[in-house]
This record gives sequence, C-alpha cells and structure tokens, in this order.
Amino acid sequence: MSEATTNIANERHNPELTIGISAEYLAGRRFDYQEDINASADVDLLESTPGQDINWLEDIELLAEDGVPAVFDRYSNSFIKIYFEIPKGQENEVARKVLLKHLQSGNSYGIKLKEAHAKFPQPELGPWVKDSRIVGTNWKPSVLPGWEMPEGH
Amino acid sequence: MDAVTGESQIVYDARGLVEPNAEVPKISSIDGTKAEFDANDLTTRQINLELRWLINEQGITDVTVRNPGAKHSLGVGILTRCKITFDGSLGYFGCGVIDGPEVHIKGRVGWSSCENMMSGTVVVEGNAGSLTGAAMRGGDLIIKGRLGARTGIDQKGGTILTMGSVGANTGFMMQRGRQVICGDAGHGLGDSMYDGIIYVGGKVRSLGIDCVPGEWTDADTEFIDRKFRIYELGTPPAFQKFVCGKKLYNYDSLEPSERKLVL
Repeated sequence: MSEATTNIANERHNPELTIGISAEYLAGRRFDYQEDINASADVDLLESTPGQDINWLEDIELLAEDGVPAVFDRYSNSFIKIYFEIPKGQENEVARKVLLKHLQSGNSYGIKLKEAHAKFPQPELGPWVKDSRIVGTNWKPSVLPGWEMPEGH
Repeated sequence: MDAVTGESQIVYDARGLVEPNAEVPKISSIDGTKAEFDANDLTTRQINLELRWLINEQGITDVTVRNPGAKHSLGVGILTRCKITFDGSLGYFGCGVIDGPEVHIKGRVGWSSCENMMSGTVVVEGNAGSLTGAAMRGGDLIIKGRLGARTGIDQKGGTILTMGSVGANTGFMMQRGRQVICGDAGHGLGDSMYDGIIYVGGKVRSLGIDCVPGEWTDADTEFIDRKFRIYELGTPPAFQKFVCGKKLYNYDSLEPSERKLVL
C-alpha cells in the first residue's frame, strides 16, 4: 500500500484525528484529475463560467492543505489535493481546472447530497454543466424510524 | 390551505413556506428558449415559481419579467446558467443566493440584493439599498447608481462595482473579493476587513479600523480595465486602493475550520 493510500485510510478510520476534510476522504477514493494534469486539461474555464471572464473562479487560487497543493471546493467545504507537479506560473489555472473537473464530474460531496436532500428543483450539476438533470422535484421530509411526535405538538 | 387568522394559526408546509398559493401560474408567453411574463398580479412566490418552472422544466434560458413592482425576494435561488431581465425595480433581498444566472435589472433594488451570491452577473441600472452584496461569494455585481451603507458586508469573494457613491461602513468585515467605487465612500470604509481590495475613485470620509492604502500593481490596472470594458462603463477614473493592514486579524492564528469559512 502506498504512503498516500495509507494516509487516506488513516483519515477514513480516524476522522477525529483529522483537522481538515479532503474531497477524497468524503468520496472514499482519489480521482484521476488529482494525479494527472492531462485529466483536467480539456476544461474550458471561460465556457464554464457566466459572463465574459472567468467570473467566480477569479477568487479560486492554489492553496495548500496538510503541506500538499490543494484547491478548495466551497460546495462541500473540502480541499481537493493535487499530487502532480504543477508547472510554474500556471498554479491558479491548474487549480481552477481541477476544481471545475471535480464539479462537472459530479464528484463533489455537495452534489452527492442533492438527490436525497434538495428541497427545490435545481440542476444536479449546478451551473457548470449544460442540460444537467433536475433534482429536488419530489422532496419529502425524512422520517426517523420509531419516532413519534411528542404529545401536545 | 384554509384561510387563517393570527400568526399562531398559520400553517407552514414542510419547507417552512407559508404563502397560500403554491401553484405555478404558467402564464408566460414562450418563444423557443425565450419567455416573458407580466408579474403585476402575481405574488412573490408565484413569480419565483414561474421563473423556476420556466428555467428548470421548460428549458428556457432567457426570461423577461415585466412589472416586478418592487416586490421583495424576487429571483432568489436560481442555480443555473440563464439570462433574466427584470423590467422594473426589485424590493428587498432580490436575486439572493443565486449561482450562475446573468441578471439585468432595469430599475433599482432595495436592501440586501444579491446576498450570498455564488456566481453569475447582476447589472442594476439604478440605485441599490444598504447591505448590497452581503456575504457575497463570487460573481460580478454592477450597480450603475449609488449604494447604501454596509455594502459588501462580510463579502467573501466576487466583485461589487458601483458608478456612484457608497454609504458608511462599506466593506465591513470584508474577507475576500473586490469593490470598485467610482464615487465617494462614507465613514468607516473597510472597517475590520480581513482581506480583499477596495478601489475608490472619489473621496473617502474616513477609513475603518485596519483599512490602509495599498500599493497599486499591474494586476489592479488589468482588473479595472477588464471590468470597465466588459460592462461598457467608459473610461475608469483614477482610483485609490485600500487593503487590510493585517494588524487586527491574521488568518494564521485562526483555527483551520474558521479559515475555511472565508474561502
């Protein structure tokens, strides 16, 4: 087992020991675009964002988490760690492409939660993918088995 | 829902909503991917239901809302790429919690417009009230008129650009993002800001705690020129730049979980 895989396993089994939350911890696996720069090279930043420039991505920068280069996914409050070598001068562009690939692939944990918990109709893949299917059309409050409403309510 | 009287007898649905008529009006005239409807006789909820029905279920990508009548909370929670034009003014909390749309408001807006905006563009032809862009996280908010107090309070990203002046405590507790103010700024500009940049073209009545002049760079020139070009705002005035002095707060001393709140 590689050192990286061991670290993921440790995080998963000892979540109380981890300070941050990584996307791979939430997903239970690592994604190819975290390890291969070519896996996100096809992302068109301008096409994927509203307006005539990169809009909200202007605030997305390459950061570091646990000493590893990482980009923050605000839709799941987690860091996507980047394990490949990032060319100098392209740090933010690479971070933005990795983040958009993560969102457009539907791998962000916030997207995973939509199917069950979205209360209002909305595109599953948000504004990042055209013609994404609509979720949240038939939301029902969850029921705890065996729970009864207290008397007087 | 039966007619009710008194707050204690109001019946809420499972989402916590109370407005009695929850039916989509379906009154729009639709032409391909464009649609238009008159909001004059509709309630806030009906207008928002109509908007979501068009955008999420009818494949409409360009909607015009006639006679919005300065009703509150219009155009909220739109979470996809589309174009929305409001042919008039909006009340409080207009276009809050949006992620992706490009909105054009031909009138003015009340308090707290574009609160918690995630991405997209909003262009307002008139003035905007206090707390515009509160807790905004991303996207562009362009106000061609004047702005009230506490503009961009708790701003966590994105750009707020006004061609006019702003009120007191603008940029209060700003954490990221940029504000471009072509006119004057009221007292307490950037008070207790953590980060971000504020550009002011006019006079500043007074700076808030830990808001200090910043050094102008080529990146600032590129940013200002680009936004003025995209939104066809003419030639930008000469700006002063203000940033956080980093004396009051320091990210390094924050717990990691607190640091995430501002990303």
